[in-house]
Amino acid sequence: MDLRDSLTVAAAGMKVQGTRIKVIAENMANSDSTAATPNELPYRRKVITFENAMDRQQGLEMVRVHKIDKDRSDFQRRYDPTHPSANAEGYVLYPNVNSLVEANDMREAQRSYEANLSVIEASKTLLTRTIEILRG
Amino acid sequence: MDLGGTGLFRLMKGKLDWLTERQQVLAQNIANSDTPHYRPSDLTGFSFDRALGHARQLAPARTAVGHMAGSTQAQGNDVQKDKPRHNYEAAPDGNSVIMEEQMIKVADTGVTYQLVTNLYRKHVGLMKTAIGRGS
Repeated sequence: MDLRDSLTVAAAGMKVQGTRIKVIAENMANSDSTAATPNELPYRRKVITFENAMDRQQGLEMVRVHKIDKDRSDFQRRYDPTHPSANAEGYVLYPNVNSLVEANDMREAQRSYEANLSVIEASKTLLTRTIEILRG
Repeated sequence: MDLGGTGLFRLMKGKLDWLTERQQVLAQNIANSDTPHYRPSDLTGFSFDRALGHARQLAPARTAVGHMAGSTQAQGNDVQKDKPRHNYEAAPDGNSVIMEEQMIKVADTGVTYQLVTNLYRKHVGLMKTAIGRGS
């Protein structure tokens, strides 16, 4: 029972949102990563999930990354017979990354990060007020 | 004289403990605002009557050296977590943290904390006046 615990919990929240941004960056950067040959598959979109778990070291329940999984949805198909990875019909498989979805995810991560930041600010204010008791 | 043992100060300490604990629970809710199936929790309300009852409790006196020291019930331990409930609004992934609600609670905790610390300072000031060193 300590105000510093609130800071730790909020920091854990910021950390997972940071990891989420990293995964989104990876997806965005690879949105055109096709395969080199027709037999291979292009880049598969990654999805991050979180969980609330007990951190034994801190004795606190904190949020952490549960899994960075792959999105199993279908790839996009585009007609481009000149492409090295085009199949017999001339179609190329493109990653299942939708930049609109990624942009929205990124915005959500940003907002959640800011919310955690506000909690840190609030906890810091509480700590300062406790210290101010000393000023009498 | 032990300030922490005096009724009013003990009461304020109990309230500060409760607010600290609540801040942690709220931090947890906000950190988990994107966790699937997470349900937010809160503390059960701080009961003034109960805290006052504790504050006015008398400690058993030690009548012989061989006796063990008696203790009144621990103060901070009546902080209880409320059962997580389903909110009126849940995201498709089963998460029911409502950010606005949580932020309002954080703000509320901050204001109440300030109130209690100010009260604390005022009462320390009163004590100082009583011993002739008033500010």
